[in-house]
Amino acid sequence: MNDVIVQMKNIVKIYPDGTVALRGVDFEVRKGEIHGLLGENGAGKTTLMKILSGLLRPTSGEIYIAGKKVSFKSASEALKHGIGMVHQHLALVPAFTAYENIVLGLPGREASREKIEKLMEETGLKVPLDALVEDLPFGVRQRIEIIKMLYRNVDILILDEPTTNLTPIETKELFHTLKELKKRGKTIIFITHKLREVLEVTDRITVLRRGRVVGRTETAKATPEMLAKMMVGREVVMKIEKKPAKPGEPVLIVKDLWVKNDLGEWAVKGLSFAVYSGEIFGIAGVEGNGQTELVEAITGLRRVEKGQVILMGKDVTNRSPSELYRLGLSHIPEDRHKLGLVLDMTVSENSILGIHRLKKFLGSLLNLKWRVIDKHAREIIEKFEIVAPGTRAPARSLSGGNQQKLVVGRELSKSPQVIVAAQPTRGLDVAATEYIRKLLIKMRDKGKAVLLVSADLDEILQLSDRMAVMYEGEFMGIAKPEELTEERIGLMMGGYKMEQISAGTKPQPAASS
Amino acid sequence: MPSSQFWIIFKEKLERVAEIVIAIIIGFIIAGIMMWLGGYDPIAAYIAMFEYSFSLTDPYYLAMTLSFAAPVMLTAITFAVGVRAGLFNIGAEGQLYMGALGAIMVASWSLPGPLYLPLAMIIGSLMGAAWGLIAGVLKVYRGVNEVVSTIMLNWIAFWIVEYARVYVYPNPIDASKTISMPPAGRLPILIKGTELSASFIVSLVFVGIAFYLLWYMVLGYEIRATGLNPSAARYGGINPKKTMLWAFIIGGIAAGLAGVCEIAGRPPSYAITTGLSNLMGLGFDGITVSLLGANHPLGIIPASIFIGALSSGARGMQIVTNVPLEMVKAVQGIIIIALAVPGIVRLIRSKILRREVKVV
Repeated sequence: MNDVIVQMKNIVKIYPDGTVALRGVDFEVRKGEIHGLLGENGAGKTTLMKILSGLLRPTSGEIYIAGKKVSFKSASEALKHGIGMVHQHLALVPAFTAYENIVLGLPGREASREKIEKLMEETGLKVPLDALVEDLPFGVRQRIEIIKMLYRNVDILILDEPTTNLTPIETKELFHTLKELKKRGKTIIFITHKLREVLEVTDRITVLRRGRVVGRTETAKATPEMLAKMMVGREVVMKIEKKPAKPGEPVLIVKDLWVKNDLGEWAVKGLSFAVYSGEIFGIAGVEGNGQTELVEAITGLRRVEKGQVILMGKDVTNRSPSELYRLGLSHIPEDRHKLGLVLDMTVSENSILGIHRLKKFLGSLLNLKWRVIDKHAREIIEKFEIVAPGTRAPARSLSGGNQQKLVVGRELSKSPQVIVAAQPTRGLDVAATEYIRKLLIKMRDKGKAVLLVSADLDEILQLSDRMAVMYEGEFMGIAKPEELTEERIGLMMGGYKMEQISAGTKPQPAASS
Repeated sequence: MPSSQFWIIFKEKLERVAEIVIAIIIGFIIAGIMMWLGGYDPIAAYIAMFEYSFSLTDPYYLAMTLSFAAPVMLTAITFAVGVRAGLFNIGAEGQLYMGALGAIMVASWSLPGPLYLPLAMIIGSLMGAAWGLIAGVLKVYRGVNEVVSTIMLNWIAFWIVEYARVYVYPNPIDASKTISMPPAGRLPILIKGTELSASFIVSLVFVGIAFYLLWYMVLGYEIRATGLNPSAARYGGINPKKTMLWAFIIGGIAAGLAGVCEIAGRPPSYAITTGLSNLMGLGFDGITVSLLGANHPLGIIPASIFIGALSSGARGMQIVTNVPLEMVKAVQGIIIIALAVPGIVRLIRSKILRREVKVV
């Protein structure tokens, strides 16, 4: 049983834009095991598996399947070697039935309904073959993907964060299926950041951090603490000078907030917290745990199903963004291209997005006073040291860092009371990152309230006066950063509540789920 | 610093103009080949076309060109404002019919003379706007694609107006048309003996207003932001539904006004003729004009004169070289195809560029 079926040697992947995703990874999977691939955002888990399944080509390194050296040019070549990957975002045609999706792309003679039915019978993976995929819940869709792979004779099945959109019952069913497939000799690679799950279902675990393997272990010998520490173990943190916070009034209060995601499932499950003026409240967590939905609900871009948002003492639940802005809210959105900027508009035009109805910009004909606006844009450019060809150049012509500075500059020029900053330094170089972080601290020192949401744990630890860790739409705990060890943060990011950890009782992995 | 900004903007504008000029040239070349294959002399035909549209000696031809330019200038604004809001509003045709019907309605009333024209303009443009708003409401509140709804509304408008022509406002003397706009309600003729009326000036003024609205007013800013990036617009506190409805309303006003101008400013009939033959196609030509003018009000002015020149020059082409009038429609069609696939132009250009690099 211990034959190595997958062996990846010294894999390096550098993306065309210069991002180093993998820095020499050795990875080994044995035949017939469930292998957990654990890590934070950006650890390189998905990149490594995309290389194995032929979607990406490594910059250097070698891959051996059952001892034979291979080099895949496409996913279909990997499929011929029995390797298939089920992605986080499923690749199904919503308007087709389950059956049509399973046989899609196969030559007609290979499409056999009986064979699929037999396969479902054997593996216990049941799906309604004649139902349209768009009518089926996410868990069933995922099963269709798995059947699709099995029907193509996949022996090595890769699952990328498969439990992200599943309900607890669906998760349980999935794990049952995986164990069943293992009995039938299939090899499974399970990508996740959830500690409980990796401990429950896998045989062995490889932990990745920032493109390197930081640990390999038999699951039986692993403890959540040890995995947590490996997963988030810090490298040298750049320190930012920070005066002690002087928190004042609670200016943003969230009470029992419930929000759904685009799939209609609960993404935020009854969160309550308050952000005080003069403090930075950070929310850490692996992406996709409801942070985006939380920010959108607070800033008026997503419906609040239940609960309350109170801004500057006023109930603003489900109010429009423009009303919130008038009350003193600034929002630095996580996606500057999709939300923060209209790239084809000029720097000037972008410098007033959201404040374009302010009196000082308007003439008597409801016309925009371009002279005043250009001056406003020039002030932002100077104050925030933005490199731009000019105020009438399209925002598209600015570099990523300068685009983000334009967004931040605009948002801070509103003289806000509450600043919601989501992933404010994502994709920026070191200088721009430091600049924006210092700015947020400056705003805090001026008595503003800052809600910082970031997947970058360093950022949260450096900037926050208080922090929470979010997991599956809930806070695992709220504390001061200096009170938390990496091990505790890692445990919370992996799904353990702070009370469970600090109560001193060893978290019991499999038992609780 | 300012110079680099200037170059970025200048280069973009230049590329856009180059694309359009290339499309026009392609249109003329292919149509020329078609004429040549048909046994005609394309060069003589094009010379005749130019003579009969921009003749320097006889202002009659230029006046014809401008009179044809006026209505399509307005229907082009309908399409352009739609595009700016991220819509594909091809309902100018039906909205124009409704505008013309509004003008005839006013013409049927007995009013003090000076009231006819302003009332016709108000009622005609409101009817155009209302017709556009139907598509707008369906789009915004029911998610109905505006391409489908406007096409269907065009036909509904056609039959409503045709019905009104025959049964509500028939001309007692001439069964081929409706009652005419009374002389007091007509737009003055600018050059005696031609069809060029003040409708050209009305159109120019409206284009000016549209330009000001799109680039100098809050609503225009919100419309453009919605069209370029609806998510960012929403983030910016803009209600995309509202701006889309406004785009339909403004477009409807423009097309409705074009309909009014065709009734109040087009001699000799000042009426709607059988099968709406004097209105037919003006809405769709507006799409051509808008695309040629890069969907920009200031580009639409020269583009509408170009299309007007094709229409008036086509007559000269037929008289002098016997080339059928329809050939001009072929030129127009080919230009649209060449424009509609700027991707192809870009592809050709990049291929040429790549070849140059290889040579170097």
